[in-house]
Amino acid sequence: MLARSATIFKWSLYAGATLVFFLLQGALLQRISLWGVIPFCFPILAAVLGMYEGPLPGSIYGLALGVLCDLLLPAAIPCFYTLVFPAVGLCAGLISQSLLPAGFVCAAACSLPAFFLTDLFHCLVLWAQGHEAWAAGAWLFLRETCVSLPLCVPAAALFSAVFRRTHLDD
Amino acid sequence: MKKFFREHGIWVLFATAVVAVALALMSVFSTTSSPLTNLAGVITSPFRSAYTAVANWITDKQNYYQDVTALEEENTSLRRENAQLRAQLRQAETDSEENARLRELLNLREQIYDLELETAMVTEHEVTNWTSSLTLNKGTEHGVEVNDCVITETGALVGVVSRVGLNWCTVLTIVDTDTSLGAQVYRTKDLGLAVGDFSLMGENRLRLDYLPADCQLLGGDLVLTSGLGGYYPSGLEIGTVEVVQPDDSGAASYAVLTPVADFDSLVEVFIVKSFDIQS
Repeated sequence: MLARSATIFKWSLYAGATLVFFLLQGALLQRISLWGVIPFCFPILAAVLGMYEGPLPGSIYGLALGVLCDLLLPAAIPCFYTLVFPAVGLCAGLISQSLLPAGFVCAAACSLPAFFLTDLFHCLVLWAQGHEAWAAGAWLFLRETCVSLPLCVPAAALFSAVFRRTHLDD
Repeated sequence: MKKFFREHGIWVLFATAVVAVALALMSVFSTTSSPLTNLAGVITSPFRSAYTAVANWITDKQNYYQDVTALEEENTSLRRENAQLRAQLRQAETDSEENARLRELLNLREQIYDLELETAMVTEHEVTNWTSSLTLNKGTEHGVEVNDCVITETGALVGVVSRVGLNWCTVLTIVDTDTSLGAQVYRTKDLGLAVGDFSLMGENRLRLDYLPADCQLLGGDLVLTSGLGGYYPSGLEIGTVEVVQPDDSGAASYAVLTPVADFDSLVEVFIVKSFDIQS
């Protein structure tokens, strides 16, 4: 059980870690194109935090991260990431609680449904707007996942450090 | 932690959901971006400019060390092209004078083609793999509005402003799936709708839909904005025809277009704040 100050401290550290990845995405990743796609770290962040903290905190973090992404990134609908990332956090929390112990392998395993949900929702929105593109969406999902998956390692390392630093008694 | 979320989790969730819905509603009903989006854009704007400055510096250094021979060859071909253009200009001046005389003779009004432009620098290219967008360093304080056109220095259409804040705006390029423009083939005068297609977006291509089934387009035909409806100026270059194919119904055709503008190399663009085109 964490005291209120410890809770605030922990979420401040998570916010700082998130900021690091926002800077990394803006300064470096979106200027790199590998296999025709830009590495995209935000679904991984929602998945990794859900993996360490569990389904409910993961969902709430996903919601906050989604709002932030919707403020900064263009999307087909205004609250796109706000709708997707809580589901990503929830999935990751459930996977780490029932299938795999939290760690690098689990982070990679949680990132797969993260990209799947995000890209599936993109395809659904395109389909609803009359721009059906399932095959192109599936191809992009494959490339985006392959190119972005290595980011699981720094994300899991950073969030693991915060988790261990703030859960000394667990 | 568990206690905190057990007691307050539902309220945190509720509050965030309310914020999300409010943002969505503000985005739908507002002509400019919602205050939070605007604030986020204003805060991140200096970072975007800083990243771009560093990236441009590195690109400049790379360009500096490029092969001089290639530049010399380009210079020679440009001199040749320049000579041809000067000859064309002399011919155009003669034609223009003749045109003015004939207009006077036929008592026609002179065509007015007046665009009010705002120069802007590109501070960010694509940010996700699902959209094709640019972020510019001009916003509402410079008179930029949603749905303003963005063009290059040669008059090639880049895209349309989709979100605008105080000192920034986001432009969806013409290959993005949310963009659709009235278009006309310059040679044949066939009308169509230039729309972004997700399958083609990765290759920087777009579609020209609703062409007649028997249209006689050729590869390389130039496609311009039609200006129909008055939303966008007419005569802006969209792209050139790459291939023409019948659509699924067989009652119409569509063409795949290559945009004239090269989005990846854009540094400076022009926002069309208002236009007055009469003939």
